[in-house]
Amino acid sequence: MNFWEKMLNIDRRWIYLAIAIIVIVPFFARMGLPVVPTREVESIYNLVDSLGPEDAIFVGWDFDPGTEAENQPMGVAVLRHAFSRHVPVFITAYYPLGQALAQQAVGGIFDTRVPGNYAFVPWTEWESMRAAGFAGRDSLETAWTAAGHALPEGARGWVFEGVDYAFLGYQPSFYLVILGMGTSIASQYPTDTNGNPVPEMPILQAHKTLRDVDLAVTLAGSTTCMTWVIYGTSRVGLRVAFGVTAVMATDYFPYIQSGQIVGMMGGLRGAAEYEVLETQGGYTDVTGKAYRGMDVQSLAHIAIILMVVLGNIAFFAGGFNKKTALKARR
Amino acid sequence: MYETIGIWVAALFTLAIYSFLYKENPLYRLAEHLVVGTSLGYSMVISWQRMIYPRLVLPLSRGEDWLLIIPAVLGLMYVTRFFPKIAWMSRYPIAFLLGTGMGVAFPYDMQALVLRQTQATLIPIYTPGAPWHEILGSIVIVFGTLAALIYFFFSKPHKGLFFGTGSKVGIWIIMIGFGATFGFTVMGRISLLIGRVQFLLSDWLHLIH
Repeated sequence: MNFWEKMLNIDRRWIYLAIAIIVIVPFFARMGLPVVPTREVESIYNLVDSLGPEDAIFVGWDFDPGTEAENQPMGVAVLRHAFSRHVPVFITAYYPLGQALAQQAVGGIFDTRVPGNYAFVPWTEWESMRAAGFAGRDSLETAWTAAGHALPEGARGWVFEGVDYAFLGYQPSFYLVILGMGTSIASQYPTDTNGNPVPEMPILQAHKTLRDVDLAVTLAGSTTCMTWVIYGTSRVGLRVAFGVTAVMATDYFPYIQSGQIVGMMGGLRGAAEYEVLETQGGYTDVTGKAYRGMDVQSLAHIAIILMVVLGNIAFFAGGFNKKTALKARR
Repeated sequence: MYETIGIWVAALFTLAIYSFLYKENPLYRLAEHLVVGTSLGYSMVISWQRMIYPRLVLPLSRGEDWLLIIPAVLGLMYVTRFFPKIAWMSRYPIAFLLGTGMGVAFPYDMQALVLRQTQATLIPIYTPGAPWHEILGSIVIVFGTLAALIYFFFSKPHKGLFFGTGSKVGIWIIMIGFGATFGFTVMGRISLLIGRVQFLLSDWLHLIH
């Protein structure tokens, strides 16, 4: 076996080891390579940025743990943006495990031990203020703070359940749920995941159907994202944005060109771009997990490009393109 | 306390799964089977909590909506698959779901996946005043789509200017598409590894913040 054959027959475990080292080391020596937001991500950010407390968005946790690394940072970034602008958010899930991941994400955002997070006020805790009559979010916040509730140190604001946020969660046969929400959201979700009555929530009284919703951001690791386009956009003209895994991204660029989706976050890179835009917009002080992974991503890509180039050099220099049998080691 | 246990369990199972990269071993098998089992168990509990109990069992037990007996019976007919003598009954709910599913999906699928996508390729190649890169993009979309379609047209031999050259351009367009997809796939797989390494280094070992 000559040198080129040895090179082409290298034990793949050495390649795994090399990739592992390349992925681990940059976490300890950060380079801060620039991440420039693309038009596809900017269009989602700009749309959410143009919304306010009178609007509403859906964020669909339409993935399972297999693609958590890519999809979860996207959801966290969009939620932070919406909460900081007081844009009401409905959270849904296509899969049961998606509901658990969404709970994990909001749990992280509502953890006020970490600076820059949001203080969560459960539906049951502001019952007395509801009984006195709900007259808008601003007056609710004023009444809440006047009642002696102080914003925890480092927190960026309050999130009132039922006003700023409703965790609708998982329902089976989600395409039928989207169709049903075109007529009435409450008919599909009589209660949220905590058992609170959804029809009584101010967020729902202001947005009764999908027609009253300004955007749905679906975070998906499979073709489930198309359900929102097929049944939401086609039926009620719902604006939809995608947060999909990198593997899927090329499949959905045509839907941006056709105007069927507003924009797309593709993979961890898409999430990092959204985080950069949020930081530039002053909605967070520090970028999130996705941005921190970008140095590693770039280095790993360089390593893989080098391996592809070296593999090709070995293939041609060894003359294997001239029908020479490649002696594969068994 | 429970959070710490959860992190340790997640970390050890992550390592068990990655041990497959060295070679297949019982730890990997254990982790793989546990993933399937716990996912299924969790899904069943959530389905019961979110759907079966509040939307079926509760209204029926209160006598609020007797029409729910119909979907309940149809659902129970699925279970007959476990009993060979009456397994034929499970075909009816399957037929019902297939029929309604196809009926509901067909018009919306046609609209979103075929008509709107076709419409998006029927664009003017040249628009006065448009920047050059947009004009180039329009040319690629129109001729790229036509060339790729010609490649998949098998009723005529791929010879001559139209079918021969068209199919050759088509295969190049398709290959460029595959290349882009492969690039994104590499990015995706590395992202998943980054996610796990981030978890191991920060949540588990507290080596990075």
